Amino acid sequence: MVSLLLIFIMSLFFSGFIIRTKSILSGRKGPGLFQPMLDIFRLWKKGSVISQTTSFIFQIAPSAYFASVIMAILMIPHGNNPGLISFDGDFIMFAYVLAFGKFLMIISALDTGSSFEGMGASREALFSMLVEPAFFILLGSFALFTGQSSFHQIFSTLHYGSQISYLLGGLASFVLVMIAMIENSRMPLDDPKTHLELTMVHEVMILDNSGFDLGLIMYTTNLKFAMYGAIISNFFIGMFPYEISIPMFFIIQIGFAIAVGIIESFMARFRMGHNPQFVFILTSVSLLIFFGVLLVLGKFV
Amino acid sequence: MGSAQLIGLMAFTLSLGIVGLIIVNERFRPFLALFIVLINSVLSSFPALMSFTSGPQSGVLNLPHLAGDIGIRIDSLSAWFILIINFTSIMGVLNGTGYLKSYRHLKVNQELHWVFYVLFHVSMLWVCMFEHGIAFLVAWELMSLSSMMLVIFESHNKSILKAGINYMIQMHLSVVLLTLGFVFLYVNTGTFNFSGLALLPLGPHWIWIFILLFAGFAIKAGFIPFHTWLPHAHPAAPSHISGVMSGVIVKLGIYGIFRIIMYLRTDWLIFGEVILALSVVTAIYGIANAALRTDFKQMLAYCTIENIGIIGIGLGIGLIGIGNNNQMMVMLGFCGALLHTLNHSLFKSLLFFGAGSIYQQTHTRNIERLGGLIKKMPITAGLFLIGALAIGGIPPFNGFVSEFIIYTGLFKGLIGFQGVSQAILLILSITGLVIVGGMSLATFTRTFGVIFLGTPREELPHEPHETSHIMLLPQFLIVAAMLSVAFIPQFYFSYAGKVVSSSFATAFSGIPVSFTPVTDTVTNIGRMALIFIMLIIVMYGIRRLLVRKRASVTYETWGCGYVAPVKKAQYTGKSFNRSFGLLFNFIVKERKTIEKIPKTQIYPSRVNFSTSYIDILDHYIVSPLAKRLTFALNYFQFIQNGRIQSYVLYGLFFIILVFLGTAFSFIY
Repeated sequence: MVSLLLIFIMSLFFSGFIIRTKSILSGRKGPGLFQPMLDIFRLWKKGSVISQTTSFIFQIAPSAYFASVIMAILMIPHGNNPGLISFDGDFIMFAYVLAFGKFLMIISALDTGSSFEGMGASREALFSMLVEPAFFILLGSFALFTGQSSFHQIFSTLHYGSQISYLLGGLASFVLVMIAMIENSRMPLDDPKTHLELTMVHEVMILDNSGFDLGLIMYTTNLKFAMYGAIISNFFIGMFPYEISIPMFFIIQIGFAIAVGIIESFMARFRMGHNPQFVFILTSVSLLIFFGVLLVLGKFV
Repeated sequence: MGSAQLIGLMAFTLSLGIVGLIIVNERFRPFLALFIVLINSVLSSFPALMSFTSGPQSGVLNLPHLAGDIGIRIDSLSAWFILIINFTSIMGVLNGTGYLKSYRHLKVNQELHWVFYVLFHVSMLWVCMFEHGIAFLVAWELMSLSSMMLVIFESHNKSILKAGINYMIQMHLSVVLLTLGFVFLYVNTGTFNFSGLALLPLGPHWIWIFILLFAGFAIKAGFIPFHTWLPHAHPAAPSHISGVMSGVIVKLGIYGIFRIIMYLRTDWLIFGEVILALSVVTAIYGIANAALRTDFKQMLAYCTIENIGIIGIGLGIGLIGIGNNNQMMVMLGFCGALLHTLNHSLFKSLLFFGAGSIYQQTHTRNIERLGGLIKKMPITAGLFLIGALAIGGIPPFNGFVSEFIIYTGLFKGLIGFQGVSQAILLILSITGLVIVGGMSLATFTRTFGVIFLGTPREELPHEPHETSHIMLLPQFLIVAAMLSVAFIPQFYFSYAGKVVSSSFATAFSGIPVSFTPVTDTVTNIGRMALIFIMLIIVMYGIRRLLVRKRASVTYETWGCGYVAPVKKAQYTGKSFNRSFGLLFNFIVKERKTIEKIPKTQIYPSRVNFSTSYIDILDHYIVSPLAKRLTFALNYFQFIQNGRIQSYVLYGLFFIILVFLGTAFSFIY
């Protein structure tokens, strides 16, 4: 329950922090922290234009996508406090529930019969396939490390003993930041601010969505960011009481948002053909974490 | 009623039914076939259900004029498969009744088709019942032959006949291996029964018997590199037959593997690790091929290979669990495999039936020629979407339940691993399974999207419309069964648990571990699926409530400023997965055929260019091997000269040979 509330609060400001960081780094003052959310509120009030090619899938997909992210957030604990849904192996369901939302968004893009949206859908399917192993190897390593197999138990029994384990935490945060960037189609893979449809991924999939649905999709992106931020923060707040863990949660989330802003300001988008290589790096980093865990457990003898 | 009487009764119904099918009016034929299948299903389901409650049902069949007793044994493992066979076969008849209506002109073929269908059903049931090796092989052979006859329904078509012959040859390869295995077993133990495997002396031979039998069953199941019959046979067969074949026949290979590993007494670890590695490779190989096929039935056939891989992963985990003495892993691995067998038979037959409806309405199997069918066939589209989500293992459908159990087994194995190599194998298996999941997402979004969504890409011979009720009915029933697995998985899980604990009793003989946490988790999965569906409905309800009063305009798809959209410019199935093709070109090679432009040509004329993907194992290993064999065997063509006189002579030679063989037996 705690984590659900915190993630909701953070999702309201997350993209505000990113945009603010980018503005300051490019020498502008930038809009207020709440401005992206106000844009979304405006969209929620608007009517919509719907393509005549589309079927009921186009109408259902945004709501189902939103529902899938909410369902995933329900599984995320806050330190010692389990999520509303917590059971053995919940992180498997976490990944697959997100896949449900992705499935529907992809077919809703194909539903419009537009060639651009098909292109975006194809890329989304490819990248999400490539990024998934990194997440599972990461969770597998921590399951091995702690001997537990649910989000809550992994995070509440996670203790840092040696230097290597701090290194593992750092690497895990790196992998998760990158997963979040890829899942939300942000900078090194995709530039949400580009105006060329041929080079977009996620933005081009939702070309035909408008009004309430577009607002919902944009808000879901914010929620997803906050969700991954919450997972990252869980790597560090496991053993603290609320009065320390809640401020730490916000500090880590804001740090995450600023990091995203910095990456987006100083990195150019990769060429589309190089993206798979980049995503594979994440898998190898998580394999590194796995071997690190084996090392910490002393099994490499 | 004893098991022997049961077999007799089934044979009686079968022979009466076949006579009936031949004489009855063609209009009633499908209904008579349904009736016969129903009777045999009821007859066989009774002992199957009994074996869950009151232990294995066994009996002895004593045929006159034949030496030896034929053992029959219906334990819970057989029961699990018997129930799956019955359900899928009944659905197959229902769907076939509608599907074959468009083939009214093929009267003789229809008659043969139904005769072989009932025979096929009974032979599959017998495969699960016979304990005696020779009787088992006879049933196995009956099943292979009758299914071959079902595959070549459109026998006037050369390519279909070729696929049928390919299927027959590969099935006989499997029979040869199995026969060798059983003979080997008889020589070593003096019995043809499966249970003889447990009596094998642990000499140098025993492992070869297991390997022979495993290879024989693996051909049926479609593990690589024995999978090459699947992608040819499934597209060739009528859709309801593909559904039943993919749903059940390949599963009998799994049944056989299950049956033999039950009797493994040592070296579980090495068997488990080999099966696990082979299965992961099979799954990736299958789905990589499926992702790139444009023939949707071939795509589904490759997808079957993928799912066999997933089932195999479950088997591998179970075996490693026995080796590690980790009861949790044994339970999760084998239960996952059994549940995935059930789930796959459900959603794969659903998808094949849907594919049949599409083929019947559009007369094409090429997805690139379709599009926008959701407007014409909304119910088929909805059912296909449910099947596509389920096969991708996506909650809230049933595919997720079994994949979840297998994942949990892998993670439990990882936590309690023994040895670094095992940990690496397990983490790589998890990675493989995840990649397979991601690729099946891409495969099925593509298939569904290109067939049903967008606008039609080509003019079809006639306007497609929703198929008949008789074809939709089984699909609805299957969806109902799928949802029952998704929402109350604990019910199915408890039965799978019974099968596992009775089949692998030795593995559970040590300190008993409580499986309540697992059962609770499985119960949770069903509850979560329900919550998830509710959440989606609530969200959609809120959205509808909010946008009800808003202005909504219907307009053309945004063409980025271009106002005359072309249907051909839509993303195609090929382009959707082209980047996958580039990444996985070490598994699936793209072959481009370009017509060369002659240098002397002055004016440009029409030039053809085509690309296709080839299955490397089929193309580089199996086909060349077959070609070499044909070349060598051509020298023996003089034997098959078409003269009856010489054939009689061969018979005489053979008798003399046998006689001499027995006469000189004292040497041995």
